[in-house]
Amino acid sequence: MIRQVFARLFLCVFLASISTNVAAQEKSAIKEAFVLQPGTARILLFRPKIAVGSQSTAGMFEPNADWTTQARENLGAALAHAQQSLGNEVVVYGDQVGPKAEQLAEYQSLFSIVAQSVIEFKFFPGNRLPTKKRQGVFDWTLGPGVADLAANTGCRYGLFIFTEDQFGSTGRKIFQLFAAMGGVGIVSGQHKGFAGLVDLSTGELLWLNADLAMGGDVRTPDGAEKRAIQLLEGFPGRPAVAGTLQP
Amino acid sequence: MKKRLAAVAVALAGLAAPGATAVPELPPYAEAYQPQGTDERGIWMLADEDERVLRDSKFLIGDPALRDYVTAILCRTVGRDRCHGVRIYILRVAAFNANMTPNGTMQIWSGLLLRVRSEAELAAVLGHEFAHFELRHGLAGFRHQRAALDIAAWAGFLGQYGGAVRQGAMGSIYQFSREQERQADLLSLKYLKQSPYSAQAAAHIWERMMAEADATALGRKQKSTRYNRVPYFATHPTNLDRATYLADLARDVPARTEGDAAYVDRVGTWRREFLADQLKLNDFGGTEYLLGQLAASGWSADLLYARGELYRMRGHPRDLAAAADFYRAALAKQAELPEAYRGLGLALLRNQQRAQGCEAIQHYLALHPSAPDAAMLSTMISQ
Amino acid sequence: MRHIVRSAMCLFAIVSMASPALAGNALITPGTPVSVAKSGLTVTPDREWNKLGARPGRNSETWTLDGDELNGLNFYGGIQSGKTLFREVSKRTKPLPHFSTTMLLTDIPEFLEDSYRIALGTSLFSIDAIEPVQFLGTKAVHFVYSFRRDQEDISRKGDATATIIGGKLFMITFEAPTVHYFGRDIESYRHLVGTARLATL
Repeated sequence: MIRQVFARLFLCVFLASISTNVAAQEKSAIKEAFVLQPGTARILLFRPKIAVGSQSTAGMFEPNADWTTQARENLGAALAHAQQSLGNEVVVYGDQVGPKAEQLAEYQSLFSIVAQSVIEFKFFPGNRLPTKKRQGVFDWTLGPGVADLAANTGCRYGLFIFTEDQFGSTGRKIFQLFAAMGGVGIVSGQHKGFAGLVDLSTGELLWLNADLAMGGDVRTPDGAEKRAIQLLEGFPGRPAVAGTLQP
Repeated sequence: MKKRLAAVAVALAGLAAPGATAVPELPPYAEAYQPQGTDERGIWMLADEDERVLRDSKFLIGDPALRDYVTAILCRTVGRDRCHGVRIYILRVAAFNANMTPNGTMQIWSGLLLRVRSEAELAAVLGHEFAHFELRHGLAGFRHQRAALDIAAWAGFLGQYGGAVRQGAMGSIYQFSREQERQADLLSLKYLKQSPYSAQAAAHIWERMMAEADATALGRKQKSTRYNRVPYFATHPTNLDRATYLADLARDVPARTEGDAAYVDRVGTWRREFLADQLKLNDFGGTEYLLGQLAASGWSADLLYARGELYRMRGHPRDLAAAADFYRAALAKQAELPEAYRGLGLALLRNQQRAQGCEAIQHYLALHPSAPDAAMLSTMISQ
Repeated sequence: MRHIVRSAMCLFAIVSMASPALAGNALITPGTPVSVAKSGLTVTPDREWNKLGARPGRNSETWTLDGDELNGLNFYGGIQSGKTLFREVSKRTKPLPHFSTTMLLTDIPEFLEDSYRIALGTSLFSIDAIEPVQFLGTKAVHFVYSFRRDQEDISRKGDATATIIGGKLFMITFEAPTVHYFGRDIESYRHLVGTARLATL
């Protein structure tokens, strides 16, 4: 936990290694023997947690209100659209107030911590935990308390989505320049995206897509579309579609 | 809409003269643009999400009396028309900062409430932030696809994300230019001029903040790089010129109530909490300076106790002796300060003065038998 | 310019962190006593643990089950006077407090609290309980704490057992999110603390 304080140093090591070792970098995992047939289940879709900001010179995340607003609108729309491709009935978890909102925020936070742990300790080849790198082991959970969120929804599974984009501090000027020239996104800093399917009765994580270097500039509608596709790539239960994945 | 635009334009034009020696009259207030209904935003409601998160933040100090008091000072400063619709959030963060978002959310950090010494000083800071808000300084460059309007088209601007308050972080989202800072200063002076508060307070705060940053650096044997250390100054670059011109402009304005006794009284027990946060920052130099400033009108028992804690926590042999003296002085002022007995006992014990230390601890336990560390302390003094 | 500086910092960080970060994580098997934190402190686990290659500081070590953000066990094996509890985050702007041989047992919770408040930049840290216990054959302090980091919507709990021997700090801490993980894994930590011994050197 204290080590998280040095997260950016770890990240340097991580990013440095992936640039030379892209093929070895896992980005998704599924619980062994988990299968989700299309049209067989109801999935509770939680509101995505989206944050956009810049990276200060000290490497800390500084939220940026306009970027976050743009991302929330664009990505929100793209994901709402993309839910049609999940192959199963999707129930949207509506906005909550009071203790329920707090509870949801807790689980969203826990989800992103779990996803980050999976990246650090299973996906990243140089850093696997011995107990997690054994064949067929994909063993993380949010705990059975998550069933509370699903009460009265009739949903067996829950889908959590998290994105956080930190643009390098010179990114803003570059972004403005390139946006004027037609929307070429400069991807710098860190672009985290996690999508995870959870068994709502046990809290077990059944499927995870997690990447610290996602594509698509979420501040633009096109970039958000691209990000949404990337997030849900390989979703179990999605009916096979010949050719390109489409939202 | 055109009428509003005209009013805002008048307001801005009134500030155009640089280096003016007199403080001109305050213009009438132009109401903020309200979005005409909400667009379809898809399946989740995004409106005001950030303020909702702020409202639910665990860092929020939810004391309505404190919030109402601060709001009242703001209203007295900028007038009822202007303060109507501002929502103040006081957050428990041990650094000096305040900022305001275009939808009227004002965040104030507890470190700021600790450092201002009077209602007038608080009024000066709040007025300054409000001036940025009134001048719509945060809007430049915001791209939002609505019917293209004027600089007042801030609809959809949702404010700071996620109640993310980070101690020592660069607080504000906006990069204000020096010109904008100057405009905000001038406008806030206008507020103060027609308020019950003294306009001279403005210059004092900046001076003390700079001196505190110097003291912090000195305590760490570093060269002072004043402006980076204080989050407020990351976006409000302060220089000597600024303190000077503020003082100049305020000179002609008749001195009025400072409200320092009232301020200390109303902030009340919160000051002890904020001091406790400050003491845990491992900033001996800055905290010592701050305590000295707060004690300008006399060392109260609370301040003496805090000083005792400061020295005891640094813990060098001479510090421990000094701490014991401070605790005793605190007790001389206020005998019912059980924590001072605790501090005194611990300082003495740590300085190898066992008999006296045990006596002080026993006194503490007698006064406060249900102290959270009672069992621990009892074990330490029994042998 | 900032990119260059950051890349340079990055490179430096890689080089200087190279050994710990890339040393890899080791498996701790149950049943045999194992020495931790490069010290005479030993514990005997009753289940498998993962030992992280990266350490909080020189005389410390981290174990975990699922990742140290989910269940983090830290061993401090003899922090010396004048040293910080763990590696400085930003020595110039946020220097951490130093341990001192003259510290009393009641100073240890404060020492941990202040270190965390500064390193994590949070004002939400509280010591929830303190009690005297025996640890490593001597008088010790046991305390429970809770805290929040500002970018997270989850609270975390911690449990620590500590003492000072020969003027050095020996401590074992366990931290986890309050939701699910702390309650589930606290017994494993308690078991380890119960088996802790300090070899007389």
